[in-house]
Amino acid sequence: MNGIGAAIALGKRELIRQVRQPSRILASLLTPLLVWGFFAGGFSSAIGQGNTDQNLTAYMIPGVASLTVMFASIFASISLIQDRHDGVLRAALISPAPRWSIVMGKVGAGALVAMLQGLVILAALPFLGVELSVVGVIGACIGLALISVALIGLGLGLAWIVDSSQGFHGIMNAVLMPMWLTSGAVFPVNDAAGWLRILAMINPLTWMHSSIRGSLGMPGIEGTPNGLDWVISLAFAGACVVLATVVMGRASPPK
Amino acid sequence: MRVIEVDQLRVVYPNKDGDRVALDGVSLGIGSESVALLGPNGAGKSTLMGVLAGTLTHESGTIRRNYENGLGVVFQTPAVDDLLTIGENLSLAGALHGMTKDACGESTQRLLTALEIADRVDQQVRHLSGGLKRRADLARALLPGPGLLLLDEPTSGLDVEARASLWSALNSIRKDAEMAVVFATHLTEEASKADRVVLLAEGKVVVDGPPRELIETLGPHVLRVRTKEVEAIEAWSKEIGCVSVSRGDDVLISHAKPEYAGRCPGDPESVTLASPTLEDVYLWHARLNSLGGAS
Repeated sequence: MNGIGAAIALGKRELIRQVRQPSRILASLLTPLLVWGFFAGGFSSAIGQGNTDQNLTAYMIPGVASLTVMFASIFASISLIQDRHDGVLRAALISPAPRWSIVMGKVGAGALVAMLQGLVILAALPFLGVELSVVGVIGACIGLALISVALIGLGLGLAWIVDSSQGFHGIMNAVLMPMWLTSGAVFPVNDAAGWLRILAMINPLTWMHSSIRGSLGMPGIEGTPNGLDWVISLAFAGACVVLATVVMGRASPPK
Repeated sequence: MRVIEVDQLRVVYPNKDGDRVALDGVSLGIGSESVALLGPNGAGKSTLMGVLAGTLTHESGTIRRNYENGLGVVFQTPAVDDLLTIGENLSLAGALHGMTKDACGESTQRLLTALEIADRVDQQVRHLSGGLKRRADLARALLPGPGLLLLDEPTSGLDVEARASLWSALNSIRKDAEMAVVFATHLTEEASKADRVVLLAEGKVVVDGPPRELIETLGPHVLRVRTKEVEAIEAWSKEIGCVSVSRGDDVLISHAKPEYAGRCPGDPESVTLASPTLEDVYLWHARLNSLGGAS
């Protein structure tokens, strides 16, 4: 069975769906932009620049890009719930295509769309005084894609277990928003209070942000070995995809 | 040769107020034939379809599969993507079944022609009527040339014409294919067109056989009596050597003779003598099993 072919076809389907419902892309971009406007506009003068080289407005951009990726990833994974009961996924699940191909199709297309949306946000950096290099942008894109791969993988696994949109939203918000807030997206981790710094350091999203910031020439986590943020980012994304594949590999028990 | 065989299948839906047994000791062997799973809501038809499709797990029992080119399933609601065109949906289905681009294209053309929707290949599914959407979904399920086709109430929500048209298209495709077809329905008219009918009630197989043979078990005529004096009619049916089942004020008497119609005791609201149909078989066994109303 050609699992790669099935994954590509499923990924293509997700991309066609994206193009034919632009409101989904707009919704993914709008909320992070509002968050950025309120946080950066409201707090930058009040809390100053910390030890960052840029003002808070520019500092927050990678975090806002990752929030965009997060929303896009939630959209990508929540579609699994409806798709599984009323949509095409029912046909995919009874086909000979391996389950990993379904995960790959969803993750691949979802990550591509989420990364492009995140890139739109990063395009604001040159206007805020941050110089970008081609290599830096490529690195940031890979970092954003890894965040999306991880979050879609996590979301798919959760969506398979939770099986209700309301439950999925509740759990994802309860898990992802604290993860995002403690990841250095809105404040520099290096300046955080002790307990918050501990939380940030055990949060994989902090390391993923650090790898994106590092690529863009912005300060990441200080005092850690070079490349550790990339290793953790890759490992977390890989683990989430494996988790989704294992969870989705099970047949549904009667409910 | 059996295409699929299930033995002592049991499925339990966990519930905090007490588990519900959806299938209880179901055993079936299905060859290259069309089999209708008939039964009221909650009889276990969709659960059995889910287990046969492999989308639901079973607590105990065995399933043996012996078919080529996989399985085609038409669900209660179409499993085609509304935002994709018919062609894109079939291309996706082909990729999921590992078909080559050429084989998929050839099969798509043949099926869409047979289903009379070839001119809609580039139309997004969301712009199709319910009947056309069903045909597109049927094409999706038939694309790999499955050895077993499962259809779970495929005509629900369709008007009479669209329903007839769908069955007619499926039957014409079946003529050229060696394929077992299992469909769930609660419409006796649809079930009567199958080679074999399996009547399910409360998770059990109540009766299983060709429609004609099942109908013959009720004798040459059935008498249907609507009356307020149900007990009196039941007693009379015993006296004349017949068997009856009743629900409410409706009594169904099997093996009736034409002359019995004029001899009904009391003052019945209506008395109808007719050749039995599959609907009578359905009512007979549904009443017998859910109400224990035989006398």
